[in-house]
Amino acid sequence: MTQPTQDILRGTLDLLVLKALSWGPAHGYGIARWIEAATNDALAVGEGTLYPALHRLEERGWVRSSWGMSENNRRAKYYALTSAGRARLRVEAENWRRYAAAVFAALDAPALR
Amino acid sequence: MARWGRFRRLFGPDPHADVEEELSFHLEMRTRELVERGETPERARELALRRFGDYEGSWAECVEIDERRRRRMVRAEQLTELRQDVRYALRVLRRSPGFTAVAVATLALGIGANSAIFSVVSGVLLKSLPFRDAERLYEVRMLYPDGTEYTGLSAPDFMSLREESRTFERVEAYAGGVLTLLGAGEPKEVRGSSVSDGFFDLLGLRFALGRGFLPGENVPGQGKVTVLDYGFWQREFGGDPGVIGRTLSVGGEAYTVVGVLERGARPPLPADMYAPLEYGETFSATTSVGRRREYLGVLGRVRPGVSAELLGADLKRIGAELQVRFPDTNGKLTFTAASLRETIIGDVRTPLLVLLGAVGVVLLVACANVANLLLARASAREDELAVRAGLGAGRGRLVRQLLTESAVLGLAGGAAGLLLAYWGTRALVAAQPADIPRLDEVGVDATVVLFTLGLALLTGLAFGLVPAFQATGARLMAALREGGRGTSRSGGRVRSGLVVAEMALAVMLLTGAGLLIRSFIELTRVETGFEPERAASFRITLQGDAYATGEQIRGRVDALLERIGALPGVSAVAASTTLPLTGIGSIFNFAVEGAPPPPPNVNAEIAIASVTPGYFRTIGAPLVRGRDFTAADGPDAAPVALINEAAAKRWFPGEDPIGRRVQVGNSVREIVGIVGDVLQRAPGQPAAPQLFMPYAQFTTSRVRIVVRTAGDPLAVAPAIRAEVRALDPDLPLTDFTPLEELVSASVARPRFYTTLLTLFASVALALAATGIFGVMSYAVAQRTREISIRIALGARAGDVLRMIVGRALALAAAGVALGIAGALALGRVLRSQLFGVTLLDPVTLGAVVLVLGASAAAASYLPARRAAGLEPASALREG
Repeated sequence: MTQPTQDILRGTLDLLVLKALSWGPAHGYGIARWIEAATNDALAVGEGTLYPALHRLEERGWVRSSWGMSENNRRAKYYALTSAGRARLRVEAENWRRYAAAVFAALDAPALR
Repeated sequence: MARWGRFRRLFGPDPHADVEEELSFHLEMRTRELVERGETPERARELALRRFGDYEGSWAECVEIDERRRRRMVRAEQLTELRQDVRYALRVLRRSPGFTAVAVATLALGIGANSAIFSVVSGVLLKSLPFRDAERLYEVRMLYPDGTEYTGLSAPDFMSLREESRTFERVEAYAGGVLTLLGAGEPKEVRGSSVSDGFFDLLGLRFALGRGFLPGENVPGQGKVTVLDYGFWQREFGGDPGVIGRTLSVGGEAYTVVGVLERGARPPLPADMYAPLEYGETFSATTSVGRRREYLGVLGRVRPGVSAELLGADLKRIGAELQVRFPDTNGKLTFTAASLRETIIGDVRTPLLVLLGAVGVVLLVACANVANLLLARASAREDELAVRAGLGAGRGRLVRQLLTESAVLGLAGGAAGLLLAYWGTRALVAAQPADIPRLDEVGVDATVVLFTLGLALLTGLAFGLVPAFQATGARLMAALREGGRGTSRSGGRVRSGLVVAEMALAVMLLTGAGLLIRSFIELTRVETGFEPERAASFRITLQGDAYATGEQIRGRVDALLERIGALPGVSAVAASTTLPLTGIGSIFNFAVEGAPPPPPNVNAEIAIASVTPGYFRTIGAPLVRGRDFTAADGPDAAPVALINEAAAKRWFPGEDPIGRRVQVGNSVREIVGIVGDVLQRAPGQPAAPQLFMPYAQFTTSRVRIVVRTAGDPLAVAPAIRAEVRALDPDLPLTDFTPLEELVSASVARPRFYTTLLTLFASVALALAATGIFGVMSYAVAQRTREISIRIALGARAGDVLRMIVGRALALAAAGVALGIAGALALGRVLRSQLFGVTLLDPVTLGAVVLVLGASAAAASYLPARRAAGLEPASALREG
């Protein structure tokens, strides 16, 4: 995968994280795995950017964190959506859909006559 | 929610380690996954890291975000705690309204006095003068070889300064005078001032109406124009804007009004009307004409960055040049300058700062008192505090709670104090104490409110700190363990210490006040040299066409004296150009004929005045030797003079001045008598050498009439007014003043400071006495058991009384000793305000010891009586 993909992702990383957490609390690695599977490995380079994004979402009150035990009995930090985060996800997803639809429509549009 | 809330507490105190753990967990999981897919552990680790990207950057960013979040949470939590503490404090204070009222009242007194005096200090000393670039304004003075400074400059010297100065941006001059305004109503005297062309601009004064003076208007012989003072315009013309262009008849001349100064625009020498200073021929800087006729006040603004030293050097240089060019008039003379600020507020700085210090001491005493109250309460609140400590509140938390309480008390005291200060400053300003400059600019403003707020918080901390630590100290913890009352003696010792400190502070103030009172008494005892009782004076100004010549003026004055002298109840009347205690007045050059000429331009001057025959008899000053003026000393008779004793001593040491001839100004006169010294300035300032001329030989248009009466001089006033009006309805009679008022006005300033300092000392004494009362009551309450046993064992009431009062007196003695030591150490600042007493004045110190001892004995008497009246049996049962 190449640079341009990453730049596109950067703007939507928050949205992807919120979406990942909409299925239930998860640790950072879990979220990374979900994004990997869901986006055909768009984050293959630069997974680390996920963590500042998570901490920033927590600062804004859209997710909250707690320490828990992972599947293999290791201490891990789990994130969960707050109700504000859930609302945010709805808005962001709707925005993105409208944006994408507009771009698609533009790509399919014929030349001006 | 609750679950997450609990987890949030666990959110680590160390974001560094947390982030490290979180990120390494990720890498570990990814590595393990890759190993499971068949990579070697080393290769797997490498791939995981590459996938992760910028590890350090991510780590740093996460840490930064987390720390920011943590700080915000801590702040929010502190705010919540503070809100809780304040709410709790308010509840606690409401529960004991008596204590709260006493504490708030005490603090309000202390803080209010500070705010009031601070508002004066701020308005008078701190605020910059209401002029443009005020810090660069200087007043220029003549410097004589003997070191005396003279604030007047001659017109040519002023012009030389203007032309030669390299340090002044601009130099302007003004001259004051009194004129008669004729208008619709009674003729009025107005204060006039002539100002040079750029004067208003120099000070940055603006106009409410019209304009200032134009450059050409300084040329003599033009139509005269005038600018009015705002207040004068309001008073005389009701603020009528149509005044512009009107012609006013002033001093026999017609002036056209061209402008009105803005409200509050007031030059250093305020006047009612301003006119252009006419640049006549004497203003030529190249001639020596009139170089020693010094009548101009000169103000200048230095260029930016010019220091006072640089200005001084420049003025010396100009002075030296003039000495060379005009050796006859300017030999050995030079210039000096003082900042305008210094000339306006210089001599009130020390007394105002002393007052500020005094109220500071009052506040300290108030703090000690409230601290004592808090300490007494602390033992009553031990149970409450123990319960809170038992519920898990740490010592820091309890201290914070108690300090919040005292801060709330302090703020409440500050709010009440601000009200007091508001009234206090209004009363101060209304009292107009002895021409303290800029007093009308004083008031409770934003600066004062901020000062009060800061002071209130600081005060809360000051009186709350000791009790808070005392209350939450080991004693509390012991009480918690034992579940009993942990009363210790250390609390009592702290409280006694506070009382001793209060006493010491009160003694310092009392000593200061006592010394000022003694000085004041000494001042009022000073021989003024005249008899102010049953005498009064008023002023008339004879200007206009009817008074063009000296003869016309003399004729009118003689007629007036004759008519007033004939009034019933008037025993003597005379005219004079001067009055006792109103200033030195005019000063003329002086030389004794036949005496070796004084070195050139030694300050050979003498204060002069002209008086009609009988003036000295009228004011009650003795003729020491020779004769008084008579009607025969007319305008064409041989010029004669009287001198006062100070002049005889200064110019004729060991000689007989009578019959000697002296040069005064332009005339040569024979001395015919010596009169007693009459103080010209104020008690405490010695009489200056003075020479009197017959009014017939030295006639002025402004003259004061002095009347001695059989009874109350004010009773004759209407008759005198009627006589003046009958003679000339256009003659204004102003300033009708009993001479006794001159005496009291001359000591108004010391009286003002003495009154205030005495007031503050009394407040401090009252507070300190309250403190002793509190401590003694508390001690008696604590020692009830011991005292009862003593009584049961046969101690008499008198013994108990003596024991308690004795203990109070011991505390007072410690306070007195410390206080007098402190007063002597700090007394230096008072020295310039003292007159006729020394710092070690035994009368003052003795009185202070007596007053304080009596107060301590009185304050401890009530608790002692209670102790002496204890029922032995009941007290024992209770114990």
